[in-house]
Order: sequence, then C-alpha cells, then structure tokens
Amino acid sequence: MENLYIAATNETPEIDFCFDKHKLHVSGESYPENAMAFYAPIRASLQDYLASAQPAGEVEAHFALKYFNSSSTKLIRSMIALMHDSAQGGKRIVTHWYHDPEDDMMSEFGNDLKDEFRMLDIRVVAMAAA
Amino acid sequence: MNLSHFADFCEQAVKDGVLFYYTGEFSQNVIGAMTDTLKQRLDAVGVSGPARRKLFSTFVEMSQNIMHYADAAPSGGAKVGALAVGKTGDSKYWIVSGNPVRVEHVERIKGKVEPLRTMTIDEIKAAYREQLRNDDHEQDAVSRGAGLGFLTVAREASEPLQYQIVYRSEQQEYAEFYLRAAI
Repeated sequence: MENLYIAATNETPEIDFCFDKHKLHVSGESYPENAMAFYAPIRASLQDYLASAQPAGEVEAHFALKYFNSSSTKLIRSMIALMHDSAQGGKRIVTHWYHDPEDDMMSEFGNDLKDEFRMLDIRVVAMAAA
Repeated sequence: MNLSHFADFCEQAVKDGVLFYYTGEFSQNVIGAMTDTLKQRLDAVGVSGPARRKLFSTFVEMSQNIMHYADAAPSGGAKVGALAVGKTGDSKYWIVSGNPVRVEHVERIKGKVEPLRTMTIDEIKAAYREQLRNDDHEQDAVSRGAGLGFLTVAREASEPLQYQIVYRSEQQEYAEFYLRAAI
C-alpha cells in the first residue's frame, strides 16, 4: 500500500508513514480546529496497513509531539490502541514516545499509555529538541 | 474610547501585569495568529520551560473553547470572546477568558467547572484518564473535545480554576462566562 505523508502545518503534525519500510512517524504540534477530520483518514490508513500483509521484521512507530490539544488527545490514543490490538494479534511493534526532558505532561502521558496498553512495547524517551 | 480612557486602560493593564489581550472573533486563523504572537511575547518576557508550555497549552484550550462553544453573539454570526494573559510576580502567570453563553447553557457549564474546583490534582488526573478512556462520550451531543477541555486546563493549573457568570440587565438571552487559570 502507498506510503502516507502529510506535511506539518502550524497546527497539525507531520505524518510520515513509510509503510514499505515499516516505520511510522508522527511529529510536531497538534491543535487543528477539527481533530476528527484530520485524524480519521490517518487512522483509517494505519488500520489498513496493520490489517494487511505481515512485515518480515518489526514495525517501528515514533511519536515526537511537542504539544497536542484536548481534542487531538483521544485520537492520538486511538492510534496507539490500534497498534496495541495488532500487537495482541501477534505483530511485533515497537513504539517510541519522545518528550522534552522538562515536559512532565508529555512524559506522564507516555507512561499512562504504557500502563494502559500492556501488550504494546512502548518506550518513553526523554529527548532534548534539536 | 477616548484617549484618557485608553490611557487609564493601559495603566490598569500594566498594574495587573497584562502581557497580552485580545477581544474579537475566535476562528482557527485568529488563534493561529495569536499563538505566534504569544510565543514571541513569551520569548520577549523570558518565560521558558514548564511555565511556557503550560501557558501555551491553556491558551490553546481556552481559545478553542471559545471558538467551539461560545454561543454566537447576540447580534449573530462569529464566535466572539476575550482573552488575556498576564503575570503576577515571580514566575506566576494567569490566563483569563470571557465569552457569551446562552442562559440555558449556564448550568451545564457550571456543572463541568464547579466540581474541578474542589478536586485534588490526583483526582483531576484520575478524572482525565477516565474521560480519555470513556467511549460513551459520543452521547454528549454538545461537547466535541471528548470532555477533556476543562480537565486539561485544570490539570495544568497551579490553583483551582476560578469562574464567574455575569448577567447584564439589558441582555435577556445571554450571560457571560469568565474563566481564570493560574499557572
């Protein structure tokens, strides 16, 4: 299936899903006016990918979000939930959740995801901004 | 506004530590422009680290709350409101917002904000997690942000949220909802 790339805007993150290399990246800030309109097609694309052919090795997901608003939160979590379901089904997926070392909220959110989605390998990584 | 009123307005703003003030329409374009301005303002004033991040987050939540939920102004048309950001002393900041609400919506808003005022930070975080995982939200026909908006603001604030409902005698259908978050 075709890779998905959406360039970042001021209020939406960059979506770089390299399905052919099994590497998925979400980075930037997220506060669109209509989060559902932005995330629904992305989620659908991810769902199709996860339901399709097994990758030979593992799938890597990288989330490097500096900020997301309340309406983006549930939708970002639902992408993690999709990957969790896939992992429960046997796929090997490693998720990296990056946060600024000083950002307590972002690190806590990552750890909450880890707590909730036990079957998914989530690594919460402190990383200073480039 | 005549000049001496404006001079008084500016003096009062300085006394109250106002860093940024806007009144008018709240659309995504306007919010985008304001976040750019706010970032520069915070740089200029030297606000960094956790305070900066929390201010930005609260600013976006409050602005988008006005954009989504303010009842249209009595004259119809765009969602309008007002928002200000300021400083009270060493590294303590505040954000306030105001917007019209139809009187029949007042109780619903109070019902959302009032309970947060007496919750501990751990209770707020627990409520946040529960709201995040709650799939029954779809039943709430009015709220679009998964009910997380006020919880997000409450979670980042350093004190319980403050709010005020103001009724104006000349306006029967609408009241004004004011919210204050301390960072």
